[in-house]
Amino acid sequence: MIFSSLVFLYLFLPLCLLFYFLVKSTKGKNGVLIVFSLLFYSWGEPVRILFLLLSAVVNYFLGIGAAPTREELKRGDDTPSVRRKVFLALGLVFNIGMIGVFKYSKFIVTNINGIFGASLPVPNIEPVIGISFYTFQILSYVVDCYWEKVEPQRKFTKLLLYISLFPQLIAGPIVRYSTIADEIDNRRVTLSDFSEGFSRLVLGLAKKVILADNLFNIVDQFFGKDVGALTMAGTWYSVILYSLYIYFDFSGYSDMAIGMGRMFGFHFNENFNHPYLCKDVTEFWQRWHISLGSFFRDYLLPIPVFGVRNKYTSLFLVWLCTGIWHGANWNYIIWGLYYGAFIMLETAIGKKRMAKIPIVIRHIYSKLVIIVGFGIFYFEDLGDLGKFLRNLTPANPNGFSSGIEAMSLVNNLFLVIAAIICTFPLLNLVKKFSLRSQNTKAVVSVAGTLVSAGLLVLSSILLVNATANAFLYYKFG
Amino acid sequence: MDREQVRVRLTKVFRDVFDDDSIEISDKTTADDIEAWDSLEHIALISAVERAFKMRFATKEVSGMKNVGEMISIIAERAKK
Repeated sequence: MIFSSLVFLYLFLPLCLLFYFLVKSTKGKNGVLIVFSLLFYSWGEPVRILFLLLSAVVNYFLGIGAAPTREELKRGDDTPSVRRKVFLALGLVFNIGMIGVFKYSKFIVTNINGIFGASLPVPNIEPVIGISFYTFQILSYVVDCYWEKVEPQRKFTKLLLYISLFPQLIAGPIVRYSTIADEIDNRRVTLSDFSEGFSRLVLGLAKKVILADNLFNIVDQFFGKDVGALTMAGTWYSVILYSLYIYFDFSGYSDMAIGMGRMFGFHFNENFNHPYLCKDVTEFWQRWHISLGSFFRDYLLPIPVFGVRNKYTSLFLVWLCTGIWHGANWNYIIWGLYYGAFIMLETAIGKKRMAKIPIVIRHIYSKLVIIVGFGIFYFEDLGDLGKFLRNLTPANPNGFSSGIEAMSLVNNLFLVIAAIICTFPLLNLVKKFSLRSQNTKAVVSVAGTLVSAGLLVLSSILLVNATANAFLYYKFG
Repeated sequence: MDREQVRVRLTKVFRDVFDDDSIEISDKTTADDIEAWDSLEHIALISAVERAFKMRFATKEVSGMKNVGEMISIIAERAKK
C-alpha cells in the first residue's frame, strides 16, 4: 500500500487511528499496530508477509543468542563467548543472505553467465518490497545485542512490532531498536505530538504529490524518450529536475513516516536535513538519507578491511556497499564508488584546506557532483548512461539547445521555482518567527493549520486525478 | 603503564592525527571537543593508537567508545597483559 494513495489516507490510516485510540492499554495499542502493519505489508501481495514473519522469528532467537546471558553478565566476561559469536555470525549470514537471495541473485547469476560464458539458470525471484530496509533494522538489532548496546527483547510480539511498524517498514528511516525500545512499552500521544505529526504527514504528502510527481512528469518527457537525442541544455535541465524530484519524493516519504510515528507516540530519527545546502559532498551525505549513512558509519566503518584499519579502505568498503544496497545493477555500484571517490578526495584535501576554498566554488562543485550523480543513479542501462554523460558536455551531437527545454521551463516556471525554494529550511524561519512573542506564536499556529488543511485538500484533489505513483525508494527496498 | 603515562603518549598520537599541537586531552574529552574528530578520522585515530601502543581494539570498542577516558582504560588494561 502506498502512503500517497486515497485508500491509505482516507480508509486505512483513519481506521487504524480509530482502533488505536479506542484501545486504552499500551499492550492493546501495540496489538492494533501489529495487525494494521501486517495488513499494510500484505496488501496486494500477501505472500511477502511470510518473509517478514520468518525474519522476525529467526532474529528473535538470534538477538537473544548474541546477547550475554544473566550469568555471563554477572561474571562480567570481558570477551564474548563462542555461543554469542556463533549467533552473531548466523545473524550476519541469515540477514545478508536474505537480501542477497531476494535482491541480488538474478544480478549475480546473470553477470556470472555473462563474464564466464556459463549458462547457469537465472533464478526468477522477484524483489521483496522493503526487505533492504527492515533487514538492516533487524541486523542492527542483532549486532547491538552482541555489542551489549541493547538488551534483547524477550517478548516476540514487541520485536515484531519494532520490525513491522508500518510507517517506517518499507522505505525507512532505518530506525534503530534503541531509538524506540522504551516507547514500545511506554509512550503517550500528547495533543501537540499528534498535531505536529499530522502536519508533518501532510507536509510529506504535499512534497510527494504536488512537487515530486509533477517534477517527475517533466523529467519523464525528456529522459523517458531517447536520452541520446537530448541537447546539452535539455540533459542538464532534466537531470536538475530529477535531482529535485528524488529529494522531494524520498524526503516526503520520510516526513510522512516520521509524522505518522509521532501520531502513534513514536519519535523516529530524522532522515534528511536540507541536503542541498551542503558545501561539500561529505556534508551532503551527512544531510541525505541520514539513517543509512549512520548505519554504515556505526556498523561497517569500524570493521578492519583485510585486518587493517585505514580510513581510505574503510571509505571504499562503505561506498561500495552504499552503491550495492541501492540496487542490483552496475549503475548503482558506479554511483556509490563515484561518491566514494569524491569523499576520498575531500578527505585527502582535509577539512582545513577545504574550508579555505571560496564558499561559492564549494557550493557549485558539490551541486554539480550531486546532480551528475543522480543522472548515474537514474540510468540503469549503461549504454544510456554513457549517452547521458556525453550529452552533458559540448561533445553532445545534438547541439546546445532546441528550445523545447526553454519552453518546458517557461511552462513549469512556478513549479520549478517553488521546488528550489522548498529545498531551503523555510520551516526553521517560521519557527524562529513564532518564538518572538505569544502573538506571533498564535499567528503561526493558526496559519500552520490553514496551510496544512490547504495542502491536504490540494494533494487529495491531485490524487483523485492521478494514477498511483509509488515512491521511488520502494524500488530499492 | 599507568593511566597518566597512557594519557601523555595518547596526547602525542592525537596531535599527530589531528595535526594540531594545541590539543590537550582528559578522560572527559569526546569527539565533540575536537573539531576534526569525525567518524572517519576516528578510524585514522584508532589505527594510529593501535600502532603506537601495539594493541588491537575490538570492533565493538571502536564503535562504542564514549570518551577518551574509556580509550585510556582499554589501552591501560591491554598493556597489563
